Amino acid sequence: MHIPDGILPATVCVAGYATSGAATWYSLRKINQKENPREGIPKASLLTAAFFVASWIHIPIPPTSVHLVLNGLLGVVLGYYAFPAILIGLFFQAVMFQHGGLTTLGVNATIIGVPALLAHYIFRLRSLVGNDSRVATGVFGFLAGASGLGLAALAAMILLITTVPVVVDVEAERASIYALALAHVPLMILEGIFTALVVLFLQRVRPALLEA
Amino acid sequence: MRLDVDEYAHLDSPLHSWEPRCKLVSLFILAFALSFVQDLRLLPAMLGVAFVVYVASGLPFSFLTTRLRYPGLFLLVPAVLLPFVSGSTVLLSIGPLALRQEGCLAALLIVTRFVSILTITLVLFGSAPFLTTIKAMLALGLPPILADMTLLAYRYIFQIGGDLERMETAMGLRGFRARRPNAHTLGVLASLSGSLLVRSYEQSERVYNAMALRGYGRSQRSFGGAHKVRSRDAIMSAGFLLVAAGFVGAEIFLRGTGG
Repeated sequence: MHIPDGILPATVCVAGYATSGAATWYSLRKINQKENPREGIPKASLLTAAFFVASWIHIPIPPTSVHLVLNGLLGVVLGYYAFPAILIGLFFQAVMFQHGGLTTLGVNATIIGVPALLAHYIFRLRSLVGNDSRVATGVFGFLAGASGLGLAALAAMILLITTVPVVVDVEAERASIYALALAHVPLMILEGIFTALVVLFLQRVRPALLEA
Repeated sequence: MRLDVDEYAHLDSPLHSWEPRCKLVSLFILAFALSFVQDLRLLPAMLGVAFVVYVASGLPFSFLTTRLRYPGLFLLVPAVLLPFVSGSTVLLSIGPLALRQEGCLAALLIVTRFVSILTITLVLFGSAPFLTTIKAMLALGLPPILADMTLLAYRYIFQIGGDLERMETAMGLRGFRARRPNAHTLGVLASLSGSLLVRSYEQSERVYNAMALRGYGRSQRSFGGAHKVRSRDAIMSAGFLLVAAGFVGAEIFLRGTGG
């Protein structure tokens, strides 16, 4: 999901910075509309750090293990702070682990951050059923987590297949997008279940965290 | 896996003493210029520039090789796959597999660009304390909310990472082993993630109160002026920008000549 340096052409990298700049502007505008925008900063910052650390937790899938992206959960908990949080998290990953890259930071932030904002809107729909309902929290948590990862994976795959300098025919290109999309369905379900379990835990222990 | 990318920030080299804002802008533009390169004839020059910059920074080569290892694994997939799926000119047939020329060249381009850009990025962040680099970004106009979040998140990552380590040790001591992705394992790991979030949230309330008591949000801070741009810094920046412009110009020229 984190596209490394060197793979994408410069024009795509610049376009990625432009779209992530627009998404950051939109998020900051929404944050600044709050009565005291600075009040949420320590909460968002520590949760950014916590999400960064939580992404180190590996889920065993024998014979290997996977780590979750958690962008849907980030959208659920942080709301409009999710995009800046993802931008910062990806920046730290690029600098500390060389995971992702500096030139592809804008592209990666857009791919992972925009679905997080959409996941935030999806989770807010649970108010139509009732915020106290555990079933609604679980179902919308699942949808937010699964769609967050699903949209991010789809965007990354389409971008890679259409921009990497390969000489393959259109049919083969379409087939590879379908095959890769299908391969990500189990991961989407896993991410959805995990997000649902975490939001149910938060609703029981600290419901204030779900009021972003 | 080491987190501290700035472990060699104390060294003394022209790259280390370069004014942080000038260094940030110049090396960032150089990295982008390298990502612009598509012509294979420019690859030796790209690697050469990255090598010279790295040697001039005085950073040990073990630092580079250690840092290249982990992201290199991710690059292995396209680098191995491309020569077999991309292109029509078959170089070598091994049973049902065919090694194709276009795919080999595409893989070579991607790997060289990756190594060169990563080397420049490592010099950028490895030759100054991380906080100095962040402050340089602030001085260059990073929005205050992003700036505050970056500094605070950086401050707490190490502490929360330590919390996770202790919680995992405690879970291990109580007999928990994550072996299969069944309901029990997922439930325990979700509770672990949730606990991390709750602990961080509770701590953030105390942090905000402490910051508010110290006047947080009442005045605008300025991060500029800490470092002065000397003529040496400007000359170095001009040199690097020339090199970046050279790569972009050469690429446009070579594309124009169709060769």
